[in-house]
Amino acid sequence: MYKYDAIDRALVDERVEEFRDQVSRRLSGELSEDQFKPLRLMNGVYLQLHAYMLRVAIPYGVLSAKQLRALADIARRYDRGYGHFTTRQNIQFNWPSLIDIPEILERLADVEMHAIQTSGNCIRNTTMDPFAGAAADEVEDPRPWCELIRQWSTLHPEFTYLPRKFKIAVTGAPSDRAAIRAHDIGLRVVRNDEGETGFEVFAGGGLGRTPRIGVKLTDFVDGRDLLAYLTSILRVYNLAGRRDNLYKARIKILVESMGADAFRDEVEATFAQLRGGVHLTPREEIDRIRSFFPPPLAPANDVAEGSAPSRPGFNRWLLRNVAAHKVNGLASAIISLKPIGGSPGDATADQMDAVAALAEKYAGGEIRVTKEQNLVLPHVPRGYLPKLYDALFDIGLATPNAGEATDIVSCPGLDYCNLANARSIPVAQAISHRLSADGLSDQAGDLTIKISGCINACGHHHIADIGLLGVDKRGEEHYQLTLGGSGTEDAAIGQIVGPGLSGENVPEAVARVVAAYLELRISASEKFSQTLRRTGSEPFKEAVYAH
Amino acid sequence: MRISAIAHEAPTIDEVETDPDADAVAVDGGEDPARLEALAGRMNRIVIRFPTFKDGRGFSLAARLREHAGYEGELQAAGDILPDQARHLIRVGFDAAAPDELTPAWERAATRPVRVYQPTGVDARSAAAERAQAGRARKVASLNVLFKDASPEEVLRHALADKSLGRIAALSSFGVESAVLLHLIAEIDANAPVLFLETGRHFPQTLQYKDALIERLALTNVIDLAPTPAELARHDAGGDLWRRDPDKCCDIRKVRPLSEQLRGLDALITGRKRVHGAERAQLERFELVDGVIRVNPLAEWSYEEIEEHARLHELPQHPLREMGYLSVGCWTCTEPAKTRDDPRSGRWSGSEKTECGIHGKPPEPELETSLS
Amino acid sequence: MMVITANRLNDGRVVYRAESGAWTRALEEAQRFADEVAACSALKSAEADAGAAVGPYLIETDEGAPSGKKIVRETIRLSGPSAGTTKLSVQDANHV
Repeated sequence: MYKYDAIDRALVDERVEEFRDQVSRRLSGELSEDQFKPLRLMNGVYLQLHAYMLRVAIPYGVLSAKQLRALADIARRYDRGYGHFTTRQNIQFNWPSLIDIPEILERLADVEMHAIQTSGNCIRNTTMDPFAGAAADEVEDPRPWCELIRQWSTLHPEFTYLPRKFKIAVTGAPSDRAAIRAHDIGLRVVRNDEGETGFEVFAGGGLGRTPRIGVKLTDFVDGRDLLAYLTSILRVYNLAGRRDNLYKARIKILVESMGADAFRDEVEATFAQLRGGVHLTPREEIDRIRSFFPPPLAPANDVAEGSAPSRPGFNRWLLRNVAAHKVNGLASAIISLKPIGGSPGDATADQMDAVAALAEKYAGGEIRVTKEQNLVLPHVPRGYLPKLYDALFDIGLATPNAGEATDIVSCPGLDYCNLANARSIPVAQAISHRLSADGLSDQAGDLTIKISGCINACGHHHIADIGLLGVDKRGEEHYQLTLGGSGTEDAAIGQIVGPGLSGENVPEAVARVVAAYLELRISASEKFSQTLRRTGSEPFKEAVYAH
Repeated sequence: MRISAIAHEAPTIDEVETDPDADAVAVDGGEDPARLEALAGRMNRIVIRFPTFKDGRGFSLAARLREHAGYEGELQAAGDILPDQARHLIRVGFDAAAPDELTPAWERAATRPVRVYQPTGVDARSAAAERAQAGRARKVASLNVLFKDASPEEVLRHALADKSLGRIAALSSFGVESAVLLHLIAEIDANAPVLFLETGRHFPQTLQYKDALIERLALTNVIDLAPTPAELARHDAGGDLWRRDPDKCCDIRKVRPLSEQLRGLDALITGRKRVHGAERAQLERFELVDGVIRVNPLAEWSYEEIEEHARLHELPQHPLREMGYLSVGCWTCTEPAKTRDDPRSGRWSGSEKTECGIHGKPPEPELETSLS
Repeated sequence: MMVITANRLNDGRVVYRAESGAWTRALEEAQRFADEVAACSALKSAEADAGAAVGPYLIETDEGAPSGKKIVRETIRLSGPSAGTTKLSVQDANHV
């Protein structure tokens, strides 16, 4: 993992002091709420329904055991004993007091974390393949590049007052587990014929009110020129992006209105000016950052042998929650934060501490957060898997449903969020109960369900097999059902199939969609999206609405 | 950054476009950058207004003016700007600000931040560059310890044969002392790149000598670095720049072509020696100049050692040597040496100038080192 | 009836405006307005008092409980999240 040097530390420490000063100016009345709001947002502090919410950046979704313990400590000391892992691979605390936040930021800085730019119209935390450095199909570990982007984008002088927020996603593998084409900029690591590392670059993707799939800008940008290329894209966007209409301010609208070719020409013209100058990353810096991410080692022989699990259900967990690793003898274990009927993405302080300890004991001390709101131990010797399973079982974190229908992604919704029109979590809980009760989730296998409580689409409902969007219909919570979305390499936006459903009808409607899929699919290996493409949405529509 | 309560009065871009004498303009951050850049060349002052502090277009407009158009005049930010934005304004190229609301916080805010992550068009500092520089400085310090008593051959073998310093080239003036270094290099790797600054003002004897040495040492990779015709046309159309402004002349004929080349290099071998005196009296075998490692294998050699080596290997002499030239540069600025003890005394004779600038200008205010 | 609500500046908690002009955590202690004009003028003075609470606005209530179009939202603000956090038994959690 990356370790701060004196420069990183000083920058984060300065920022904590700056915010401490801003909070005290606000509390003394020197700053009005209008003046303070953009300043607090730049530090991840929202004012939600019940309290302030602090969103902490988990850099590209990578945590050390020590950092996870610090998060647990913050949850216990300043919050209500739990935190919420988000679809942006961050964590949110729902109950901190404003007066405590400078101290929380100080504690975060102690473990090399911060909340800088987790909100506001600036470059946000980078999304990354949670299996980076472990995935069997990887071209190159993208973590060093994400760290490079983190540093470049932090406190960027030119790009802190953009037309709208800006998100970059990076994958190091041909399979897209970072939804790169659903981000403002998507990057895929590639190698050219000379074996040099570079990036295939997409731009103009995004969810929200106007979901769009990103278009390709270039097949190859040299790694050392990456920051010059990103600067070029951001510069074009910052100057030409719309600022007159909040809903048309994202880069996807600019790319669409200019046309992909004209946008690309502008970016390339700017890049021609910037390339090779001060924006060129020194080779030593790339090597230095890379040195923090050594490849994982194969486990020793005695570890590889393993032992038998003593808790029930191991084989099913192995099947669902364990992924192949590039190193022989290692595996990646997904820790589902989707217990049946639970709050998606929530973890208690005790669970966080326990996962930190397990990561240290069995997995080299590293933890990843996924945009599916689960945790991953990326490098577990296969021989440790039974012991790991037993330990997870004992703390209620062994739900064997990764990637299944009950692994529901959900934003906080109207239970917490000021923007929400409808609740998300109780709907997720009800669907989870319904689909597990008669084994539907189990039979269906891989299937994604995602719920957003408003059009901002934090729940990523557009890119789910089954998406649900909460809307306020004359004071009542209603849910639009979309089918056929995907956030992977075959990226697609889900389509609305019919009129909105009232909250209490949602679980049954979703169950009918799943049941229809089970009936329609040719074999267990035909994915939901394939069945839908083959049959069209009509049979599903009938299943939902013909009753 | 200069802070003032009132923004400069300046005409609009429409007015400026029809007034060829105008040298100031005030625009909104949303102005078409191409339109503004087209007239930036004749402006001394540009005011960019921020309609609201949330509208960050002015930041990119300023960056483009500085970075794309090379605008060097005053750039003032005006309008609804916050003291919390001052550090960003400075770093994209504003050197003046006139906020609508001039609060005491502005006073504290208006200095350039000490630490930064990313470079900008007007501020090349970055965490990455700082780290790379620190890493190279450490490397240079340890090389000087490791090679304290090593021979020039050992130093060169480390640099050329082991490639342990990365991408490397040698710089040679093909002057009176150049043969020895080139011979040592050729013995190790005759294909090593040797850079020659083709100023267009060399003595014909130097060019003859260059050909003779290439042939004698079988050098296969001598690269001439010349200023671009466009640079010459812009700065020295009359060909008399050397007389009007010798520093500028060295800059476009030597410093710029070399620094262009150095962008692709990690290290550069030079023939400088302590006995040259002045700035070179403390010369180390390894030093760091503008981020590039300079290797000076002959730093501690005396004239006797040089001459002994040349004699032993029967190396040809520079034709001007016999005429009393002990250090040879361009014919425009070189005379025979005044004394044997100060071989470079014939360079830029009659002026304060002692170095052309290609060996960097670290500690201010005076030059530290320079060219052989 | 109408009530003025906001979030407390120092900790963000939901508060309601009492007749004294003080902010209270208890909805039953809030001043109730039957008359919209009176409610708006009280809201004006609440807005001026920005040092204690952030973003005051009016909500509808009926017999001391939130009502009207924003009933779900205001009930959640009053009573806390309607969803459990993670307080499930280990057995439920593992789905065995």
